[in-house]
Amino acid sequence: MSMRKAAPRKLDISLLWKIFGAAFFVYLFFGFMLLPCLNTLSQVFTANPDDPLAVIKFFFAGNMPSFVWNSLKLAIALVVTVNVVGVSIVLLTEYFDIKGAKILRLGYMTTLIYSGVALVTGYLFLYDNDGIITSWLVKLFPDMDKNWFSGFNAVWFTMTFACTSNHALFLRNAIRGIDYNTVEAARNMGAGPFKVLLKVVFPTLIPTMFSLTVMTFITGICAMSAPTLLGFDSINPEIVRLAGSSTADEAFPQARAALLSIILAIFTIVLLAILSAYERKGHYLSVSKTKAKLVKQKINNPIANVLAHIYAYVLWIIYMTPVVMIILFAFQNHSAINLKSPSLDSFTLVNFVGTQDYEYMTSRGKLRTRVGSISGVFSNQDTIAGIRISFILSALAAALACVIVVVAVNYIFKHKNKLRSTVLEYSLLFPWLLPTILICYSYRTFFNSNDVWYVFNQNLYYRENVRLLIIIAYTVVKLPFALRMIKASFYAIDEELEDAAKNLGASGLRTFLKVKLPIVLPSVLAVFALNFNALFTEYDMGATFHSSYGKTYAMVIQNMTYEEGRDGYNVNATGRRNASTVFIMGVSGAILYLVYGVGARDLGERLEIRARRRKRLQAMKLRLTPHKAKAEPHTRS
Amino acid sequence: MIELKDIVVRFGDFEALHNINVEVKEGEFFTFLGPSGCGKTTTLRTITGFIEPVSGRVIVAGEDITRVPIEKRNIGIVFQSYALFPTMTVYDNIAFGLKVKKVKKQEIDEKVRAIARKVDLSDEQLQKAVSQLSGGQQQRVAIARALVTGPAIICMDEPLSNLDAKLRVGLRNELKKMQRDFGITTIYVTHDQEEALTLSDRIAVFNNGYIEQIGTPNEVYNHSATEFVCNFIGDINRLEPATAEKMGLPEDENHFVRLERLRVNQTGEGTVFEGTVISSEYYGLYIKYFIDVGTQVFKVIEKNDGVNIYEAGERVAVSISRTDVMSYPAATVEQ
Repeated sequence: MSMRKAAPRKLDISLLWKIFGAAFFVYLFFGFMLLPCLNTLSQVFTANPDDPLAVIKFFFAGNMPSFVWNSLKLAIALVVTVNVVGVSIVLLTEYFDIKGAKILRLGYMTTLIYSGVALVTGYLFLYDNDGIITSWLVKLFPDMDKNWFSGFNAVWFTMTFACTSNHALFLRNAIRGIDYNTVEAARNMGAGPFKVLLKVVFPTLIPTMFSLTVMTFITGICAMSAPTLLGFDSINPEIVRLAGSSTADEAFPQARAALLSIILAIFTIVLLAILSAYERKGHYLSVSKTKAKLVKQKINNPIANVLAHIYAYVLWIIYMTPVVMIILFAFQNHSAINLKSPSLDSFTLVNFVGTQDYEYMTSRGKLRTRVGSISGVFSNQDTIAGIRISFILSALAAALACVIVVVAVNYIFKHKNKLRSTVLEYSLLFPWLLPTILICYSYRTFFNSNDVWYVFNQNLYYRENVRLLIIIAYTVVKLPFALRMIKASFYAIDEELEDAAKNLGASGLRTFLKVKLPIVLPSVLAVFALNFNALFTEYDMGATFHSSYGKTYAMVIQNMTYEEGRDGYNVNATGRRNASTVFIMGVSGAILYLVYGVGARDLGERLEIRARRRKRLQAMKLRLTPHKAKAEPHTRS
Repeated sequence: MIELKDIVVRFGDFEALHNINVEVKEGEFFTFLGPSGCGKTTTLRTITGFIEPVSGRVIVAGEDITRVPIEKRNIGIVFQSYALFPTMTVYDNIAFGLKVKKVKKQEIDEKVRAIARKVDLSDEQLQKAVSQLSGGQQQRVAIARALVTGPAIICMDEPLSNLDAKLRVGLRNELKKMQRDFGITTIYVTHDQEEALTLSDRIAVFNNGYIEQIGTPNEVYNHSATEFVCNFIGDINRLEPATAEKMGLPEDENHFVRLERLRVNQTGEGTVFEGTVISSEYYGLYIKYFIDVGTQVFKVIEKNDGVNIYEAGERVAVSISRTDVMSYPAATVEQ
């Protein structure tokens, strides 16, 4: 047995890494979280050197409070309707015995594969003044207002159905976590299905419902793509408008944008503080050791049963119609889309790939042709450029956020209950307190200068530099989500694994790379994929940093909503828009499958699948071999 | 082989181990036994190097390893949770330590397969994920992983605690057989007295960071050094003052007698107490009776011979021999 004494300490490389790490996080926090936001705050009071309160006075004297009120009105309205629809879709598919629940669930979950600008444009395609459904409705009711789908009602309607994704995920999990024995016990004591729902099921869902309500409120108040595309004066679109305005056109545009961002931040902070305080109170925990799986409840009253089925399928139609129509019209030619009349003869792939000539009649009655003017998503230079830039920036930012968070969480777990790890954790959660728009607006104004020494006096909003600014913004905004998810996955690492690796002689780095990282890798990849998915079609930041050098995919899609010009300008935008949405659905669907399907498998499951595949191959080979054996005697005879 | 000399371990202001002194012989199966929080795992982690004592020395084969890093101590560990790497196959788990030591690939393969054969793991099982194995198989992987690098000592931290009762008994025997086959010095941590008594050559009974007694299972059980050990190991009757007085035992001592030392309806030497059976617990191999003798209720274990079975309410005579009584000064209460 050999036992060596510890070697005397040489230059410790891990110490250098620690210093580098600490410097990096200080740089990240102060340079890209705190200072730009403080600069925004100071703008409010320094816009007019003679009167620090001039901006606030101007703000209240003008129509600015109406933007705040509009946002509040939207948020409150959404809390009601999103909860009603969200709870309904979960109860109809998970709690009540409704026929076709699996198909209903698929429909209700479509918002998971397309959201934001893609979803809003989808709704526009149906309900806009020349949208399919509006056109049909106008044929039925010639007196109806073609422009009914705009403003508050349109935003409210669209967001009600767009914002139920969290209900579909989290409330569904909560309801599935209910111990069926408690339901049986209540039924045994004489309670009917609705009484059980109210007295037994709902109380256990309250913590999840509360969280979802707060998140819905924040989504409503920070709404961006729907108000912008559907025309509703709320805070976020106004901030973007003001940020691009100049003092020549109006008073204190930047300072007012800053003030609006700060108001938004105050709302967010207060709501998150309430949520956090509520979460600290604790949740209802099942005390059952042998939890029984929830059995769907039959609605015994026939009238109530029929009404519930009608309600379920009406909701399903609302969810599915945009999806079906978008897919259908993504494969229709330009004239079929214009006439809103799909047919098999009009089937085409030109909305995805290839080009066609565009023929049109001028006002003088002449037939003109613009060669190759109708182009598909992957043949249109503008769209391809948008996809490329969004793909690269999103992938880089999602990867960067994961790397930063994995390193940080590893450190946090190694130094549990120490002040420095707590500080690190909270600094990474900091962007969660701030609305995305505040961070982006702050970046846009703060880094639009050559005076920021710590970015080497480079104007990050200038030309190609804006891409770097977008990557940083994307990364910073995604840090809190990555931290929450990846930290949760680190809890799954048994501390004894680290001890075991150490005992077997592995260094800290080897233990991290070979033991810990493979365990958390599925979660890290899931976070990467989900962040990439969200950023790929991200609208808010894309709109704030919009420039010819930083035109993201969402902005390209937004441009496709502009009316198609008769003279060949923006031709086939609707076709490309539909094809884009189908493409996004495909990308999102594939990512969700990879994350929750393939990524959720552990090594044992993967090995089992491999073994099954091998068996199947062997069986196929065996099936072929006897044929050969039988064939031989025949040939001999 | 292993010597712990005046080991003191502190966590902040809390002193977890107070002057621990232990000597483990080569090839011995030595168990640290005690209730939760008594310091047994802390002592084990001090030996393996995960905890550095504030004072005292850890000596292995005559060499002071108190400040030697964990990976250089040449001590194998089987953890309570087995700590098998879930993202690696069984083969990779066992090979991990050899790979870290940069052993040649072919040698790794030979060693892994050899140790796998010794612990009864098939080639097919080597290619599986650890999650595909049963609890017992996982335990064998953990032992193989700990042994493959050829450690001088193996430390096991409650390796049977996660298993169900039946499997635990089976694996206990397997563990003892393996230890004998390998002839490796083993330090075993458990809070289960039965496990300690059946497996160990010697046992150290821990309490509140002290060692109460070191001895063979027989010594610890039949000649418990302290009242704590006497109470902790096995079930026991504490004799009430009136009972002790009737037996003529000294008043300034606490007296205890094990359940199986009390005899029901048997003539012989000792003090006889007339009593009534209050209730009984049927265990199959034996029956436990609760007998009220007026001065106290005795717990008595009788072999189940199928004939002498007493019903509740039945009058019986319980006799206790003075030689079966373990007495401790009343002042030596638990530390």
